[in-house]
Amino acid sequence: MYPILVLSITGIITLFLGFLKSKKVLLPATLFFVTLAFFANLYDWNKPGLYFNNMLQVNNFTILLSAVILLSAFLIIALTKGFIDDEHAQPAEYFAILQFSLVGAIMMTGFQNLIMLFIGVEILSVSMYVLTGSDKRNLRGNEAALKYFLMGSFATGIMLFGIAMLYGANYSFNIDAARTVVTQMVSTQHSSVYLYVGVTFLLIGLLFKVSAAPFHFWTPDVYEGAPTIFTTFMSTIVKTAGFAAIYRILEVSFSPIYSFWWVMVIIMTVLSLIISNVTAVSQGSFKRMLAFSSVSHAGYMLMAVVGLSNKSDDSIVFYSLAYSLATISAFGVLMAVSKEKLVDGRPDESIAVLNGLSKRNPFLAFILAISMLSLAGIPLTAGFWGKFYVFSDAAFRGHIWLLVVAILMSAVGIYYYFKPIIAAYMRESEGEAISLTPFYKIILGITTFGSILLGLFPDLLRSLM
Amino acid sequence: MEYLKNILSLPPIYYTFAILSVLTLFGALGTVMSRNPVHSVIYMIVTFFSLSAHYILLNAQFLAAVNIIVYAGAIMVLFLFVIMFLNMKQEAEEMKKEKIIYTAVITAVILGGILIIFLRRAEREPVNPLTYNSQSGMIEVLGRSLYGEYLLPFELISILLLVAMAGAVMLGKREAGERHF
Amino acid sequence: MQSKIPDIIQTVPLLNYVLLASILFIIGVVGVLIRRNAIIIFMSIELMLNAVNLLLIAFSSYRADASGQVFVFFIMAVAAAEVAVGLAIIVMIYRNIRSIDVGLLDKLKW
Repeated sequence: MYPILVLSITGIITLFLGFLKSKKVLLPATLFFVTLAFFANLYDWNKPGLYFNNMLQVNNFTILLSAVILLSAFLIIALTKGFIDDEHAQPAEYFAILQFSLVGAIMMTGFQNLIMLFIGVEILSVSMYVLTGSDKRNLRGNEAALKYFLMGSFATGIMLFGIAMLYGANYSFNIDAARTVVTQMVSTQHSSVYLYVGVTFLLIGLLFKVSAAPFHFWTPDVYEGAPTIFTTFMSTIVKTAGFAAIYRILEVSFSPIYSFWWVMVIIMTVLSLIISNVTAVSQGSFKRMLAFSSVSHAGYMLMAVVGLSNKSDDSIVFYSLAYSLATISAFGVLMAVSKEKLVDGRPDESIAVLNGLSKRNPFLAFILAISMLSLAGIPLTAGFWGKFYVFSDAAFRGHIWLLVVAILMSAVGIYYYFKPIIAAYMRESEGEAISLTPFYKIILGITTFGSILLGLFPDLLRSLM
Repeated sequence: MEYLKNILSLPPIYYTFAILSVLTLFGALGTVMSRNPVHSVIYMIVTFFSLSAHYILLNAQFLAAVNIIVYAGAIMVLFLFVIMFLNMKQEAEEMKKEKIIYTAVITAVILGGILIIFLRRAEREPVNPLTYNSQSGMIEVLGRSLYGEYLLPFELISILLLVAMAGAVMLGKREAGERHF
Repeated sequence: MQSKIPDIIQTVPLLNYVLLASILFIIGVVGVLIRRNAIIIFMSIELMLNAVNLLLIAFSSYRADASGQVFVFFIMAVAAAEVAVGLAIIVMIYRNIRSIDVGLLDKLKW
């Protein structure tokens, strides 16, 4: 509950800080505010409750998810040093919008009422539309913003239609009340058509937002066109918040009608895994490859939703953290490497730009290797345990053939995740050495250390739940 | 004959509903089909007014007024402003390729068919005159609900408006320097 | 006090309103899929939102439950915010390429 209040206020303070002559204070101030929100979030630990007339729920699951979101946000904002404040005339607005978007993301983790879900989704999405288009002179960025905006609003419309239909079935927006009605319907064998139409449309709308196949077609273009720093934001925070929302609504309200929605979710899981992994193999652009990889990780996270065991919530937290850490380091390396090389006025983001990275900057090459290994799910990295947990969730419900598909597709994943590593270690170097600020090194070091630490001791996080 | 007699014996309010619905759908189709964006806006305003009439019939007078003020008054004027500002002409090759149109129409028919078949099975609940509260669409009831139960989302929507405002100003400003692709 | 039920609720079944809203929604979806002009796509999205508003108000009136109508307020506020951002994006693009035909935007595959 507290981080929403803290970030709403500090966002407004940040807007006012923009009046100051020196823009240097903005980044440290924003980092401080996010840290403040992080600790305010932990303050509620082990004190579950409902707040504001049953609008917001706080329990350990929502706190952990908010912590993952705030931690990723802290690391991403720290990486903006030298990107936002140099390039743009109004850094204050960017930092303020970033903080406001976190309010939306945290609302999506703890909503107790569908109105809160809707407003959270909208705050997060509208901020993302603006940030995607923030490089105004870049036509690709403009196009990505328009595409993201049109597809995002379309998804919002579909989601709202679902919510309206659910209202027709339950006459309430409270998700606990929905569960009562659903349970009653199941026990009396008297089912409402509105309920089924509503669940379908709500799910489709939310899956659009987290870019699960077959609703992923906008993802590669938007991720490629947006400035890299905001692509990182989209592929980590939006995904974590979106899956928190999907899991929460399905677990709290609709677990009694599991037999209705599991077929739909499982089809989308399989499609996400197959389409994304097969397409990613042939990508020449590193950024586009990471976009398809994010679709495939959406598929893996859907496996935890399909499993819906008593451990699924832990798996979602663990998977989001592992995936976010690895993705942030991958994009961090890409930003550092591609900054110098411009093609047509924008950074070169092909895999070839990584050639000979181990000679040019061994530290970056190491970070890249660990993050790719973690994304591929190689043992001793966090990604391995994340995959292990979601697979065991799927096994809990006995979806064995889904496991087979997922394991096959992980094998395909290993192939394309090794392409950047091979480029970095085996190919001839063609550029000059890359120098980094110590601050940037520390942040990338933290993400990599986190990936390894969680890979060695996964129980550090699991035992918290 | 029997069918015609049934139609003729319907109460007048049913005719009102039917005429308004036809008007609504006519406006919606016009919005989607017309080639000139300005015509689209005008068709859309027809839809908004007929929807507002529906809201009045449904005893939601306040929302009917808000619908006209916000949608027809503010949002559509903004659309018109942008269309005029960009000086858009009707474009020759306006629709997408025929293949896409056929796919879209087929999708729509299937989606519509499924929805209608499903929804026809929906149960009909009679309205209980003893518990019915005809004040539910009035400002007083809505205000109490909005500032009581829904206070937190109401406050948080201001964050959304702030983001939209800052974002629109930021994107709308002209930026110096080269364009690139 | 015996309160009065509006005529329409007594004569027209709720299903008619649900079907009307569904058809309106589908017209909006088709508009998004077949048009290429970004402004008209955007207007089709507004049509979808209006279908949702009609649906919520119909459900809310037939049950005399105010929360559905409160939700409509939120949808209207969000629609206003979205329009502001969306039109800003469209103006920004128009400055760069002098057109808002989404088919011309082919730097990225549409």
